[in-house]
Amino acid sequence: MKFMKEMKLSFTSTINLFVTFSVLFLGACVNRDKPLPIFGERELVGADTVYHTIAPFQFVDQDSASVTNATFEDKIYVADFFFTSCRTICPIMKTQMVRVYEATKEMPDVLLLSHTIDPEYDTVALLHDFAERLGVESKRWHFVTGKKDSIYKIAQTSYFATAMEDKSEPDGFIHSGAFLLIDKKGRIRGKYDGTKEEEVNRLIVDIKKLRSTNGI
Amino acid sequence: MQACGLSTNRDTKFQQYYVKGEQLYIQHCSNCHQKDGRGLGLVYPPLAQSDYMTQNVDQVLCLMKYGVAGEIVVNGKAFNKEMKGVFSLTDLEVAEIATYIYNTWEHNQGIIDIADVTKAHQKCGN
Repeated sequence: MKFMKEMKLSFTSTINLFVTFSVLFLGACVNRDKPLPIFGERELVGADTVYHTIAPFQFVDQDSASVTNATFEDKIYVADFFFTSCRTICPIMKTQMVRVYEATKEMPDVLLLSHTIDPEYDTVALLHDFAERLGVESKRWHFVTGKKDSIYKIAQTSYFATAMEDKSEPDGFIHSGAFLLIDKKGRIRGKYDGTKEEEVNRLIVDIKKLRSTNGI
Repeated sequence: MQACGLSTNRDTKFQQYYVKGEQLYIQHCSNCHQKDGRGLGLVYPPLAQSDYMTQNVDQVLCLMKYGVAGEIVVNGKAFNKEMKGVFSLTDLEVAEIATYIYNTWEHNQGIIDIADVTKAHQKCGN
């Protein structure tokens, strides 16, 4: 019995030691970490490096308000692609995006942007209802719809996310479950699997990191 | 002895339904209703604590397969987003899922049998 107790004690202190070290190590890690990568092609123009940025876009959100690149001027944002009638990965993505929404509540410079890839079904009214049912504010989380071609094109060429109609798929679309982290200059700074909790934890850490360098 | 044997058989059957039901739940239901049964906002209703489930067993057995549209009220909150049914589910599979959801979280209703499903489906299937 005493032996067991000792074992338990030493086990507990090992755990404590481990936790202490992990915290120290993680702390050191965040401080010393390299800046977030910048995704996509880059080219040299004179002495300047020009990075891939999100192309100009114009969509309409759940309040019928126009949402463009200007909406995200001087903002960090997280983008994804989904549709409300999807039963496969979207509900998981939305659950995870709600986590991001909660985690960034006190961060006025962080916004969320969800594009529907089924604009025929997902009307402004439907997106409004959806956002309201999620209990989220439209000024922090824009659910946008627009021309189908424009949405698919920006998904592919700007965000490097797959989105297309495919009647053979369950629910009729194939799309990636990616969350994209965009900095204040419109550059992609991270790509995360929005269906995995650990990946979304990493996103939340990266948002904080990006804010520590003023979002650029 | 016989009673004991009977009860063991029932337990085995319950266990089989429950285990298979959990797998089917993860596969067909948990994306929306969540693994912990808590649902999401007013989009996907909770199952973990649900007066609707307790009061509408037959409807629940029906909607898994045939879907449900229009407003339903769960714990005093109105939900109104169509759920498509999983038409490929057999009566046995519906019974397994039901056994799982009706004996997890706050629920403790015992086994839901194929006969219960078949009976409920006679009312909603046509």
